[in-house]
Amino acid sequence: MTTGDCLLAVGLLSLALAGLVWCATGPVGERVVVSDGQKVLYTAPLDTFIEVDLEGPLGLTRLRIDEQGARIIGSPCPLKVCMGMGPARRDGDILACLPNQILVEVVGARAEDAPYDLLSR
Amino acid sequence: MLRSRPFILVLLALVLAGTWWRLQPEPGQLREVRLLLGTTIEIVAEHPDADRLEDAVAAAFDEIQRLEWLMDPQRPDSDVARLSATEKSLKVAPETARVVELGLDVARRSDGAFDLSLGRLKALWGLDGSTPQVPGAQEIAAALQGIGPEALQLEGLEILKSDPGLSIDLGGVAKGFAVDRAVAVLGEHGVTSAAVNAGGDMYLLGSRGKRPWRIGIQHPRKSGAVLTSVEASNLAVVTSGDYERFFEQDGRRYHHLFDPQSGYPADACQSVTVLADSVALADALATALFVLGPERGLELLSAYAGVEALIIAGDGRMHPSSGWKTFVPSDDSGS
Amino acid sequence: MTCSAADQAELARVRRNIFLALFAALAVALHTLEVLLPTPVPWFRLGLANVLTLVALFLYGGRAAWTVSLVRVGLGSLLLGRIFSPGFWLALAGVIVATGMMIAAWHWGRRWLGPVGVSMLGAAGHAVGQLTVAWALLVRHAGIWQIFPVFLLVAVITGILTGWVAAVLLEHLQQYEPFRKIEQET
Repeated sequence: MTTGDCLLAVGLLSLALAGLVWCATGPVGERVVVSDGQKVLYTAPLDTFIEVDLEGPLGLTRLRIDEQGARIIGSPCPLKVCMGMGPARRDGDILACLPNQILVEVVGARAEDAPYDLLSR
Repeated sequence: MLRSRPFILVLLALVLAGTWWRLQPEPGQLREVRLLLGTTIEIVAEHPDADRLEDAVAAAFDEIQRLEWLMDPQRPDSDVARLSATEKSLKVAPETARVVELGLDVARRSDGAFDLSLGRLKALWGLDGSTPQVPGAQEIAAALQGIGPEALQLEGLEILKSDPGLSIDLGGVAKGFAVDRAVAVLGEHGVTSAAVNAGGDMYLLGSRGKRPWRIGIQHPRKSGAVLTSVEASNLAVVTSGDYERFFEQDGRRYHHLFDPQSGYPADACQSVTVLADSVALADALATALFVLGPERGLELLSAYAGVEALIIAGDGRMHPSSGWKTFVPSDDSGS
Repeated sequence: MTCSAADQAELARVRRNIFLALFAALAVALHTLEVLLPTPVPWFRLGLANVLTLVALFLYGGRAAWTVSLVRVGLGSLLLGRIFSPGFWLALAGVIVATGMMIAAWHWGRRWLGPVGVSMLGAAGHAVGQLTVAWALLVRHAGIWQIFPVFLLVAVITGILTGWVAAVLLEHLQQYEPFRKIEQET
């Protein structure tokens, strides 16, 4: 290795490490995070329009992300409460299918104009 | 190589400085959601030390998990399941006894509008299962046999059943108690600002930054809309509404808040929000007030010092308790 | 046996073409082997095939490097049945940016950089190329750049490794007459 190689290696490595630290500690964009309540199963940005099948103990729960936000459009659970929860868009919005153990959360992009911190219902 | 060494050192120093700057503990906030107690449990907590904060939230969830093991009727070895199965009496954990004591107290003071022994009735309607249906009148009458505030007696840690067939349903009181305990655990870990929300049953510890927590109250007839809001600090906020869980049969809506007298869903209210210093009490009272309706409900409430409520009657009119308005922020356009 | 000057040039040209063909074939073989090997994460590749591109670059220059790398991607994808799939476009973009970077580094930075440095820049270029195409074609979301530091870190490490292998290989090859001659001519 020449001196130039060493310098370049150090430079690129510092760049990568600095980037890593930056990304790990910086604010996250608007994202949809799906978990089973313990570990994350899936995550996607809120502005990419997709449909995915999420696997739970009962079968596949279908999640759709579009301009309205994230919502559950298909579920193997008996009551389909999750499908009636409507689109989730704001930071902290939650969709949950308890029977199929699917928890969909919207994170990031705190809405400063929200009139309340939590909703009692 | 000699010339390049200082350069490398400067670069490393820059990276380190950048890292240190980015890792400066901001006023640490942690938000975590888990599926427990048959609902979503959300904890938002603040603490200057990120590690301690994480420990505190994990311990709070552990506490809720532990109480779920004690009081989840789905778990065959839980106190509640064993209590339903037992013929006469059962010695239970101190926590379960505490929940039953609190529930029985509200049951007595509300003349049975709140009831801990509705397990059979709820199973009959099947609102927690996959095939809810309207039962026959005889079935309902049979399910109401032996229920009431005197159906259970608590002696120390021993719970005595007056009727061996009684099925116990601690309902929201157990959930509320779990939230209270989780808040206590957070406090023990030095957390002074937190919100613990179990599917709408919540406790607000301290304040959010410089202002109190602001809680929106769901409009009972407009999904996603906020009826009014309250400012809360060291306060439990619980709402019971007929829109939470229901099914439709023959064009009629049947929800999950039953009147123990008729065995049918209570229809005096659309929703009830209770503010109290404990979530367990607030939950029991919210159910009791929902069944009693605005007039009798506010009458019951006057016996509870420091507890306020907003009752939305069946016709949609709002009936706030006398002290309710002190919790409404001055800029709120609602109520 | 005597050889004229014209024969010498002709011999060098033929040699060069034969070696390039060999390099390309080896690169395809290494590429295929690498795809078949299990990796810790799906997108992780050591990029051993790049050793041959590097060797071609240092022995025969920029055009040779293009030949080896493009033939490698084309034939490799064809062999694995991935040609014109999204993965193919990602690979192609990565290779084009990587090869461009390596040639530029070699052209202007030969005095300071050895194969290791050139290889690192190529690997970094590879990451940039792949992510750009992924961003343009697959996920139109700026969040994708959050994984760039991870890619860059992996690229630098694999770049050092492959560059080092290329350096060792070059050292060995240049002990042999044919390669030394060409090296002197260029």
